[in-house]
Amino acid sequence: MIWILVVVFIVCLVLRFPIAFALGLACFCYLLAKGIPLIIVPMKMYSGIDVFVLLSVPGFIMAGNLMNQGGLTEKIITFCNHLLGHIRGGLSLVNIGASMLFAGISGTAISDTASMGSILIPAMKKEGYDADFSCAVTAASSTVGPIIPPSVPMIIAATLSGLSVGKLFLAGALPGLMLGIGLMITAYIISRRRKYPKHRRSSLKEISRGFVDTFWALLMTFIILYGIIGGIFTPTEASIIAVVYALIIGKFVYKKLNYKKVQVVLLDSMKTSASLMVLVGFANLFGYILITEQIPQSISNGILGLTTNKYAVLLLINLLLIVVGTFMETLAALLILFPILLKVAVGVDVDPIHFSVIAVLNLIIGLTTPPVGVCLFVASSIGKVSIGAVSKAGLPFLLVRVLVLILVTLFPAISLALPILFMD
Amino acid sequence: MRYKNLGRLLKIGTLLFTWGLICTVLLQIVCRFSWLQTPSWTEEASRLFFIYAMSFAAGLAMKNDFYVHLDMFYNYLGKKVKKVLEIAIPLFSLLLFLTMALFSVKFIVLGIPEKSPSMGFNMGIAFFSMFIMSISISYYLWVKIARTIKKQRL
Repeated sequence: MIWILVVVFIVCLVLRFPIAFALGLACFCYLLAKGIPLIIVPMKMYSGIDVFVLLSVPGFIMAGNLMNQGGLTEKIITFCNHLLGHIRGGLSLVNIGASMLFAGISGTAISDTASMGSILIPAMKKEGYDADFSCAVTAASSTVGPIIPPSVPMIIAATLSGLSVGKLFLAGALPGLMLGIGLMITAYIISRRRKYPKHRRSSLKEISRGFVDTFWALLMTFIILYGIIGGIFTPTEASIIAVVYALIIGKFVYKKLNYKKVQVVLLDSMKTSASLMVLVGFANLFGYILITEQIPQSISNGILGLTTNKYAVLLLINLLLIVVGTFMETLAALLILFPILLKVAVGVDVDPIHFSVIAVLNLIIGLTTPPVGVCLFVASSIGKVSIGAVSKAGLPFLLVRVLVLILVTLFPAISLALPILFMD
Repeated sequence: MRYKNLGRLLKIGTLLFTWGLICTVLLQIVCRFSWLQTPSWTEEASRLFFIYAMSFAAGLAMKNDFYVHLDMFYNYLGKKVKKVLEIAIPLFSLLLFLTMALFSVKFIVLGIPEKSPSMGFNMGIAFFSMFIMSISISYYLWVKIARTIKKQRL
């Protein structure tokens, strides 16, 4: 009977049903065919959403959007420009550096591409950077968002596995940093070859003024991380603290938020979160069906029947996740595949925290690869360049991400060092 | 008119429950760091506010096309197929959410004798959120179908 679930899901996906609805319809058909009472649909939907940690998802999305509306993006860009603008290809480095700082606030890649891209892509084009390169850098740099804490995919992974959100946040920090630095080196090499411009070196006064301007935003990241890691707040509490903090800073320090703007930001953030939660709810039902059909065990036995070599299994999982991540939205893929593959990974003694980082890294690679690379679409529409051209210009950055993925897969210490150091 | 009123109702509901969620979690934090004793109901109340905020916002997300889909294969389909799909997709989705709404009523009835652990309200109230979610999504799916039919006739 499980074929009904799989076939209906794939057909619905291909026909462009929303992914959440495709999951729901597939489950619906399966339940009808099996004669299972349909009351299980609202039941599983409710129990899937009624998880305390998930409350932090709208919190972090709201905080990021409030900070963005509060005029933070421009301030982060200015600060990074003072720091990195004097290096060859300065604006491309600013793009990546600003994304790394912004990642500490937003936690999602698309908002990063849209907010950074709308300012930096036109600015880069104006300074003589190729349009496809400008878009490719913006799309690539925004993928550090979902791995640098606070990260929405990590919260979802924690919900699915029962792992500590704080540990997962910390586990993503070093790989995120490696990713950012790797992207910067690549952008610098390309910029030198193409002789892209550089700005004059900023004075110490300008740098310190830029730091003071962004200080409040950076402090928010610190409060979130220190609060969670120090055991002062739960992730949900940290996300609400971040919302209140962003409201205060946006209203009284940056003076850009008013009542109307706040309501619009809250509504938009809740709509984004609700579309995720419908997906989470149906994924919970989908997961329940898979478990009752013992699919995770079958897949686990199938893979482990092929090989029990830890690295061979991780290679297979990486290949599968990269392919899936290329076609499917990050969180949807995570919700469907993570619980199944975690079982396989644990079966070959892979640390669940290490595996969570691998899974998220794999899936964020898909954010900038055609055909479904959402960041690619956003960046190319801002820069008015074809997806093909941006994908081609983005190839060196894609290689960097694959390299970081290989390193993170082979060396668990990259993911586990910080959680062990601060939380064990 | 009904379209606007429902949208307004969902917006008000989303905002009210979002502020409720923010205030409850803040109360929990403030009590923990002050001489006040943290009330036992804050976690349960914040979960309830969250689920209701999500339920109200789910309809609005449908109205504004926030649900992600896969475009890749769709672009290869013919014009006629796309025209059929414009109605078939919301129609099948409507079927799913109407069924969910129907069974949500059963779910609510099932929850009425149950009491929530710390606040003691009847669980039917919490389960009612699933009805709001499914019925509001259904409404906007229905509006989408009606508009598509009207557009195709023109």
